[in-house]
Amino acid sequence: MADEAVTPHGIALIVASQRRGLIDWNAEAIRILYAEPDGGNCRAHCVTDQPLPAAIAAVRADIVARGLAPPEVAEVHEKLQQAASPYGASLPQRSTLKSDAALFVSDEAHYLWPSAAESALRLLEAVGMKSAPVGQGRSSGFLACSLGLAETARAQAAELFEELRATGTRKMFVLSAGDLFTFRQMFDERLGVSWPTDIELVDLASFLAASLDDGRLTVTPSLTYRPYAYVDPTHAVRAPERFAAVRALVGAVLPDPCIELFWRRERAHPVGSTALQFTRPDIAERLTRARLEDARSRGAEVLLCEDPGTLYQLQRFAGEMGLQVCGLYETLAEHLTS
Amino acid sequence: MDIQTEMIRSELAEVVGDAHVSTAEMDRLVYATDWFWLPQMWLDRGEAPRKPDYIVRPGSAEEISAVLKIANAYRIPVIPWGGGSGSQGGALSVFGGIIVDTKRLNRIIEIDERSLTVTAQAGINGAQLEWALNERGLMLPHYPASANCATLGGYLAPRGTGTISTKYGKAEDLVLGMQVVLPDGHILRTPIVPQHAAGPDFFRLFLGAEGTFGIITEATMQVDHLPKARLLRAILFDDLKDGIEAGRQIMTRRLDPFVIRLYDPRSTASRVKKILGYELEGAYMVLGFDGDPDLAALQEQKAMDIINSFGAKDLGREPGEGWWEHRYDFYYPPQSLKLPWMYGTTETVTTYDKIEALYYAEKKAVEEGFRDWDIDFIGHFSHWFHWGVMVYTRFIIKNPPEDAREAVRLHNRVWNTAMTAVLENGGMVNEHHGVGLKLSRFMRRQYGDAWPLLEKIKHALDPNGIMNPGKVGFGF
Repeated sequence: MADEAVTPHGIALIVASQRRGLIDWNAEAIRILYAEPDGGNCRAHCVTDQPLPAAIAAVRADIVARGLAPPEVAEVHEKLQQAASPYGASLPQRSTLKSDAALFVSDEAHYLWPSAAESALRLLEAVGMKSAPVGQGRSSGFLACSLGLAETARAQAAELFEELRATGTRKMFVLSAGDLFTFRQMFDERLGVSWPTDIELVDLASFLAASLDDGRLTVTPSLTYRPYAYVDPTHAVRAPERFAAVRALVGAVLPDPCIELFWRRERAHPVGSTALQFTRPDIAERLTRARLEDARSRGAEVLLCEDPGTLYQLQRFAGEMGLQVCGLYETLAEHLTS
Repeated sequence: MDIQTEMIRSELAEVVGDAHVSTAEMDRLVYATDWFWLPQMWLDRGEAPRKPDYIVRPGSAEEISAVLKIANAYRIPVIPWGGGSGSQGGALSVFGGIIVDTKRLNRIIEIDERSLTVTAQAGINGAQLEWALNERGLMLPHYPASANCATLGGYLAPRGTGTISTKYGKAEDLVLGMQVVLPDGHILRTPIVPQHAAGPDFFRLFLGAEGTFGIITEATMQVDHLPKARLLRAILFDDLKDGIEAGRQIMTRRLDPFVIRLYDPRSTASRVKKILGYELEGAYMVLGFDGDPDLAALQEQKAMDIINSFGAKDLGREPGEGWWEHRYDFYYPPQSLKLPWMYGTTETVTTYDKIEALYYAEKKAVEEGFRDWDIDFIGHFSHWFHWGVMVYTRFIIKNPPEDAREAVRLHNRVWNTAMTAVLENGGMVNEHHGVGLKLSRFMRRQYGDAWPLLEKIKHALDPNGIMNPGKVGFGF
């Protein structure tokens, strides 16, 4: 960021200055506070792991409570209350299918990139883990919490827990690093909500990688190769243990190693798939384009990722940059050894 | 906004584009303070800081040149800004003016793997530059605690030093050439061959000038291969004196450690215990060798022969590696010194024949002078040269005056006492944090008869005195 105001230093200073009575929450300060993507990077880049994103979410909650939030926040809030998602038109049905295992199909997976969840269910079935979709079309709670709508986020958490109880689920898979962070860390840290102790939370990519390793999952590698690059999705820095797992999945279907992008590991930066796409679409687009430019400059032609939200954002601008975007779960499912 | 402000804002916007010039209140607040204790305390006490009038974010040296021409026309101060992580008030706008934030100048221009150089724009973030080099198996061997937010220009402007400088040198030792925009807007580029006989080494004038002679916009830096091995261990000396002498012998034998960090007993008992968890009495030393594993092991063995001759206790590898892992924790929350405490780092450097006397003289002056404030004085010796060593001394007052103005007065008194002891004992007012605003008033004393020459150079380069006024002693 070229602007000091939207660096961790700048945002922390604004927050502290309001507490010290030096400034009021005015439109300018609020605009800056809603310019932070909440992708985990400022914490990952902090040498001592300071929870600045959580502090920003808390300040945003204060701004919402004072009725000072930007109009975009109110618009998203209304949609979350009407349809449990900013992307849907009406409240989706809860699943009532009884199943030991479930796959959390978020609103992004349901509305923006449905093929990821369809392929993920096929892959789970292939390893004998037939699963029922849950949370279909519903926001995970991350968006609400990140915008400062903590009560709405808690209500969404309660809704999901009820659905899981109704289905008798003991194990819930998640498609993305963002969902893993939300349920594993954010619920507890920011909302004071504990994940049910009797339901195991499982990262699907890590599970599939382990299944490849022990032979439960077999895929036939592709014979043709184009320059592929794997894009570490938004929130990847919040689940660093997935780094090797997703690469194992990519490696299983590609005949040659994929291109590694500069923005990876602790520097994997978000695309516009957080609340930023609603509050600061200009920054969201810049981040997405920077990601795509990184890939293009390294000679990639095809981008692979498993996160529906990231895939959707990349897809919006990839065509004009001569890049193709493919879902990782779809690619794996296509190469399942029959 | 008044018409004068708007008029100049519009001229700046003509140069950098409307999106890259700001007079917004929030921006002005954010750019009103760096990491200097005084403005941070001022804000913490609820006092309003002096703010800049304009923030511009140029995208090229040419744009900076045009901004400086406008500033000269109106006699407006210009303050260069990198990552804002300086601790000396070097980026404070003492007289308002234009902040020139260099962070848009963030491109790596070339990595030359044959000559082992990198050329990059000055606003690139230190960590991002390091990552890019690491991709090629290289490193910029400058590891300051501020690397995650500081910029390349910020490394050079105050002649910064990083954790591994003992082997690889200070930032100024790594720079081969630079592009600089002079105060009148002239863009100057120096050859990237620093060792030659074609006249005086004038490009070094801009290193340590902290933007008072111009703005560094690009630099070519020497890089190194990432070391194949880093061997670290810790040693405990009963006596600080023995630790200093052992360090001196290691350096003068040219055993080439990449780090020697020797904590004084007070620091060992407080900071090392708190941050690393080692409960030790004495002077704790971390010693490290890197590079080819065989050579590093041999150098370490030779160094340990010296250390053993002092009867010091070898604590083994784990406490050395633990320090390396947590080396920056000392400077960041929750372990860093924090408000409402009063604190300052009076780091200095001198030759081996004077260093011990200097350390004890400063310690005595500060501890005795401010006993009523229950002042704590700690230090470590961390950047070693063939001829001398830097001592990183810090004072801490946990219950300073609540009144902001009283706190400023006390803070200044402590600094006056510490710097007087430093200067009287052959030390420099600073080794790597720079001069900034904080130490400006000591520069004449530091240089004595040599100071007027620096002033003449300043006046020749910047006749209108627009460049970072009040810093590095200029304007006093």
